[in-house]
Amino acid sequence: MMQADSFLLISAYLGAALSTGLASISAGIGEGYAAGEAAKALAKQPKSGDGLLRTMLISQAVTETGAIFGLVISLLLIFGGAGHIAGSWFKVGALLAAGLSMGLGSIGPGFGAGYTGGQACSVISRLPKESNRVTTNMLIGQALAQTDAIFALVVSLLLLYSVPNPTASTTLGHFVVKISAFLGASIAIGIGTMGPGMGIGFVTGRASNMLGRFPRERGAISRTMFLGAAVSESTAIYALVIAFLLIFFS
Amino acid sequence: MDLNQAIVKAAALLGAGIAMGIGALGPGLGEGFTAGKACEGIARTPENAGLITRTMLIGQAVSESTGIYSLVVALLLIFTA
Repeated sequence: MMQADSFLLISAYLGAALSTGLASISAGIGEGYAAGEAAKALAKQPKSGDGLLRTMLISQAVTETGAIFGLVISLLLIFGGAGHIAGSWFKVGALLAAGLSMGLGSIGPGFGAGYTGGQACSVISRLPKESNRVTTNMLIGQALAQTDAIFALVVSLLLLYSVPNPTASTTLGHFVVKISAFLGASIAIGIGTMGPGMGIGFVTGRASNMLGRFPRERGAISRTMFLGAAVSESTAIYALVIAFLLIFFS
Repeated sequence: MDLNQAIVKAAALLGAGIAMGIGALGPGLGEGFTAGKACEGIARTPENAGLITRTMLIGQAVSESTGIYSLVVALLLIFTA
């Protein structure tokens, strides 16, 4: 059988590239959307400058989270992922899967959080006196959208640090099964959080926008926002369950 | 483990991941869109809040069904294949 050691590094570096590369796609686009909406709003209402700038920066900081998770996993893969465990084919699959999971898993939340930030900036310029309430709602909404990136981070860390060591009776067949299971888990959680991440972002973005326009209905709006976001989250939780099953019971 | 059996098992597990992953995309997006529009509707016509929430939940339940199909298929692939 081929030596796993040399493949470990290949897998770690490939995983590192996928993790940050994919995770940055939507953070960039989302933050750009927020900045664009803020610029548009400023052109209409130059007086709302300070509050608008603050909300834009806060929203971009939260949108960035997913990309930072991707960066953390990349650094772990480059500097520590392959180093401290002797070569095993389990680890070869797990390192690639960890990078893929984090990279794909950040895409949806990034779009969602960016959309929410943009919607909040756009409504603040119309009604600057609702600025605080809208910003609070925006932060809650972005946090809801980012939970999906946290699911992906959990799966990535499990793949990095809880891989079994091969025993004397481990055959090539076991390796093939386990590597596929790890890749399957990363695809499940990575793509599975894309839809919920974007969906929750849409709910919270529209809710922030409406909260600014119709402040009197804020109770009903937040209630519907939480209910809708929770239902939208359900499929991400199914994906998390399947990923756990694939990692631990295969 | 026999290599032939292992390859079948491996394909089933990878398939479970793909099924659940892509299967969760649509419902997540669709339910989010529904709820976003419901928030808009409730803000504009708060007197219809009950009706709008009910319609939103029914629509989301229908949209969820394909997510549940994916979950069932993924579980079947993990435990029976």
